[in-house]
Amino acid sequence: MRVTKGARIVAGTALLAVAVAACGGGGGGTATNDGGGSSAQPVRVDIAKPQHELSPTNTNDTSGAEVLNALFVGLVDYDKDKNVILRGAESIEPDAESKMWTIKLKDGYKFHNGEAVTAKSYVDAWNAAAYGPNVQEGGHFFSAVKGYEDVAPVDPDGEEGPQKAPEPKAKTLSGLKVVDEKTFTVELAHPYSGFKTMLGYTTFMPMPSAAFDGNGGIKREFGENPIGNGPFKMAKPFKLATDTTISMVRYDEFVEGKAKIDAVEFKISSDKGTSWNELRAGNLDIMDQLPPEAIATAKQELGDRYIEQPSSGVGYFGFNARNGEEWAKNPELRKAVSMAIDRKTITEQVFSGTRVPADDFVSPIVAGYRKGACVECVYDPAKAKALWDKNGGGKGPVSLSYNGDGGHKEWIEAAANNLRQNLGVEVKVDAFESFAAILDELDKGKVTGGFRMAWIMDYPSMENYLRPIFGTGGSSNHGRYSNKDFDELLVKGDSAKSDEEGVKFYQQAGDMLVKDMPYIPVYFYQTNAGYSQRVKNVTIDPFERIDLAKVERVS
Amino acid sequence: MSELNTAVQEPKAHPRRKQKEKKPNSLWSDAWYDLRRNKVFLVGTAIAILLILMAIMPGVFAPQNPLACNLVDARQGISSEHWFGIDNQGCDTFSRVIHGARISILVGLLTSVVTGLVGGVLGLIAGFYGRWVDVILSRLAEIFFAIPSILGALLLLSAVGRDAAGVWTVVLALAILAWPMVLRIMRAAVITAKSQDYVTAARALGASPFRISVRHILPNAVAPVIVVCTMNLGVFIAGEAALSFLGVGIQSPNISWGLMIADARNRFLMAPEPLIFPAIFLSITVLSFVMIGDAVRDALDPKLR
Amino acid sequence: MGRYVIRRLLQAIPVLLGSTFLIFCTVYALPGDPVMILGGERRIDPVLAAQLREQYGLNDPLIVQYWNYISGVFVGDFGETFQGVQVADLFAGKFQVTIQLAVTALIIEALVGLGLGLYAALRRGRWQDHAVLALTLLLVSVPTLVSGFVLQLVLGVKLKTELGIDFFPISGTEAGWRSFLVPGFVLAGTSIAYLVRLTRTSLMETLRADYIRTAVAKGMPRSRVLGRHALRNSLIPLVTYLGADLGTLMGGAVITEAIFNLNGIGQQLFQSVARRENAVVVGVVTVLVLVYLLANLIVDLLYAVLDPRIRYE
Repeated sequence: MRVTKGARIVAGTALLAVAVAACGGGGGGTATNDGGGSSAQPVRVDIAKPQHELSPTNTNDTSGAEVLNALFVGLVDYDKDKNVILRGAESIEPDAESKMWTIKLKDGYKFHNGEAVTAKSYVDAWNAAAYGPNVQEGGHFFSAVKGYEDVAPVDPDGEEGPQKAPEPKAKTLSGLKVVDEKTFTVELAHPYSGFKTMLGYTTFMPMPSAAFDGNGGIKREFGENPIGNGPFKMAKPFKLATDTTISMVRYDEFVEGKAKIDAVEFKISSDKGTSWNELRAGNLDIMDQLPPEAIATAKQELGDRYIEQPSSGVGYFGFNARNGEEWAKNPELRKAVSMAIDRKTITEQVFSGTRVPADDFVSPIVAGYRKGACVECVYDPAKAKALWDKNGGGKGPVSLSYNGDGGHKEWIEAAANNLRQNLGVEVKVDAFESFAAILDELDKGKVTGGFRMAWIMDYPSMENYLRPIFGTGGSSNHGRYSNKDFDELLVKGDSAKSDEEGVKFYQQAGDMLVKDMPYIPVYFYQTNAGYSQRVKNVTIDPFERIDLAKVERVS
Repeated sequence: MSELNTAVQEPKAHPRRKQKEKKPNSLWSDAWYDLRRNKVFLVGTAIAILLILMAIMPGVFAPQNPLACNLVDARQGISSEHWFGIDNQGCDTFSRVIHGARISILVGLLTSVVTGLVGGVLGLIAGFYGRWVDVILSRLAEIFFAIPSILGALLLLSAVGRDAAGVWTVVLALAILAWPMVLRIMRAAVITAKSQDYVTAARALGASPFRISVRHILPNAVAPVIVVCTMNLGVFIAGEAALSFLGVGIQSPNISWGLMIADARNRFLMAPEPLIFPAIFLSITVLSFVMIGDAVRDALDPKLR
Repeated sequence: MGRYVIRRLLQAIPVLLGSTFLIFCTVYALPGDPVMILGGERRIDPVLAAQLREQYGLNDPLIVQYWNYISGVFVGDFGETFQGVQVADLFAGKFQVTIQLAVTALIIEALVGLGLGLYAALRRGRWQDHAVLALTLLLVSVPTLVSGFVLQLVLGVKLKTELGIDFFPISGTEAGWRSFLVPGFVLAGTSIAYLVRLTRTSLMETLRADYIRTAVAKGMPRSRVLGRHALRNSLIPLVTYLGADLGTLMGGAVITEAIFNLNGIGQQLFQSVARRENAVVVGVVTVLVLVYLLANLIVDLLYAVLDPRIRYE
């Protein structure tokens, strides 16, 4: 009757029982005790999978930007207070009406293959990014430059219209001109005083002549093995489809001075919870975003190696004001919804403090943000209910849509509970399998009520939070908000003499949003990062990029 | 090895039970007679009935409103007021578990029954008739078999659209994926049973194919299918939640155990109660049907009498 | 037998066409335009969209698109993704990971499942039997994500940081076969539950058979009765289940792969569905169909080995 295997099997189940019991207590105590580590070990940084191959022109995601930031240096950068500082540029000067900009480059910057960074390196890269048929993520950044509609023409009567879109008339932007080796000019289509602020983003970085295929496009190999001008260079090519790490080594001739660490390895992970476990076990050095469920433990275990700072993201509810439910078309009812949402409790309980309640349409990290600008973003259930009833809000149903693949369910459910309780309406929560599916159905009027939306800035300017989302025909204007006065105020802001003056107009535009409530701001994102005992001096910029050149090893 | 058994294998006609009966009993009525006296069966049935009552009238079992949630109280542990603690949304876990029974049991049972019937009947036919019937049914099953689970749900999404989402689409989506396994298992069991001597004997006696398959093969082949169906029950109840994020599943404010478990799993280390309690109810449901299934199988085996 | 095998292999062709066509239609019919999805959260310029549609033949009728693709597959060309990556290149490393994971899971499943099932059957009605039942219920009701995280935390992190045993890696495949042990177990979880119950039931049925009684009565040693007669005659439903499960383990490992950072086909499939990359999705399904068909064929051949009375038809 005895089977020898029995004992081992029972031991196995006991192990499982221990495992289940152990998790009840949560993870306390100190975890990381891997202090030293060999110096041959590169500094290991956690990232999500980049969206595309590594070309500055085709990168619009935080992971890709993070990697490219180690490889490239652009014209400008931003200091702690988000002020523009010059890096690759000697000077960036506008003309009197902020339409023609002259950019002079500093000497000494070289690509990793020895080629000097010249005016042409920038102009060629920008042309390649803007050229429509190249389908680059960064293309739309150049819509402000003169000649954009010739390289990336727009279908005159919309996608459904009978007319076919014209072929691009030109391969290069007529607004870009190389003056000499170290100087080029940019002519904008419209005056824009904030242009200099835009230039710190990944899309505006220079590219060597080896990157181009001679026909207006970018070589495929370049994306796998980019040659940059920054503090680190690729140690080996990176195949996006199959590789799980990106390895870099220090570029010793970097003109700004050598980086402190000799090698970096970006580890692509599919699960932040797993990365957190790797960090605790000493297999990872820097994580630029910790998962919400780990925050409490992370604060305790990491101590001063835990970083918390505002980042640029804003989370909203958008509305189908065109052909949706009645309440979604009425600004007063949207205000009632806004006041019925308990942002503070949601950010604390659902996001564990990785988000903070939103009180403006723009992020606190850009100039022009006003604390409490959105008066109806304050939680006031009684007022919300009164406003809802006064305007005939009725019993619903109110539907809230979100993409099920992004981890948004919990806060949407919480907001739905708020509306149920505070407005006394029936709320239907509707999951879509992707954000693209929501956009698809939005046009067909199938997304009938509110939908989740978020925006992460492209460059630190208030304008970047207004025009793409709320400007008529904006690239991300999913709610199809259109207001002539609002558009005019943006144009006035663009052509203002100074940034300060521009911001005043933008703020007026922001006031119109508060009045119309086309979206309701819900929360601001935070950066919640952490690092191991092996490194120090870890800083993260408003684009959520780690400044790897400054990171040091703990010896 | 198996030559040993040929001579002694008993045909399926049964010795009389120690009951005062008028006419000869069939295997199935004998089994029923046995079941009514089987303690395991009675306990299993009692639990199942209790669960079903809970699904029909949750209000009786849980006086609190499962939708009355207060986020501020999220993740508070067990207390006299909240027997199972409070979940991540600040809702009372106890009343949600009770109210979640309806959809979970409905989805679990319906899907199990549908897959059991479809897979079972087709498997019986495929295994019994063999040849081209088997070829067609088996290959048909393989077409669906190779579709990974996420695609199965999407298949349905594209077929019926997200507007039709509800209990029935969930049942359908899960059933589409699960019936081929039941077919394979049933077919295997039938193939084994078919080659037994009592079947040959029944054939020799001129029994009709229907009679042979239902009276002789089915009782001997049904055990593994019962096992797969009872386990399926649990997997369906838990798996239903996976469909909801694609938009074809159950959506809030509806409650189900699967959704509760899925919602609680990320913060399991912070607050285990919202996951543990629905999981326990799921387990109890499966347990009750495992007990019933075991008893039914025993009742169908004349050698155990 | 040779003719039977050849017949079965020929039958694979309609199955392959059926499965792939079904999937192709599904992805085709899903809401969300693949070209628009390529643009992420922002709208792609209509001109570009039109060009891309032309380039990838998305304007052709469904049946033409399907034919263009599937005729390529038969000569070994799996096409390319919307980002211009050869699907075959994409598959190479990923299927290797997935196969290692699925095979590890299958071995664990077979060992643990058969072992526990056997144990439960022999201890029928005692507390050990009930304990095994409780464990199977646990395996069914605890989601993969939770079992995955808990095992990762306990075996990966705590074992290393508290006891200094660095045997189970937390994630990735750098540690070779050891990398697949924990994920393999997690992936096999639910299947183990099925197999335990199937083994127990099947074995108990056989143990009651008269030939077993005869063998025991003859004075044959217990282990020999068990191994030679009981187990062998109980195996048919079990190998059926195992054979059919291999494909499920390969195609259904999305969550396990994500938790343990395994760069396998499950995650790729998930992403490709989201991106409506029919070339990848259908490619994966093609491979899975072949795995299924082969596994099922082998199982069907095994029937006759396990029970000589069964004949191929």
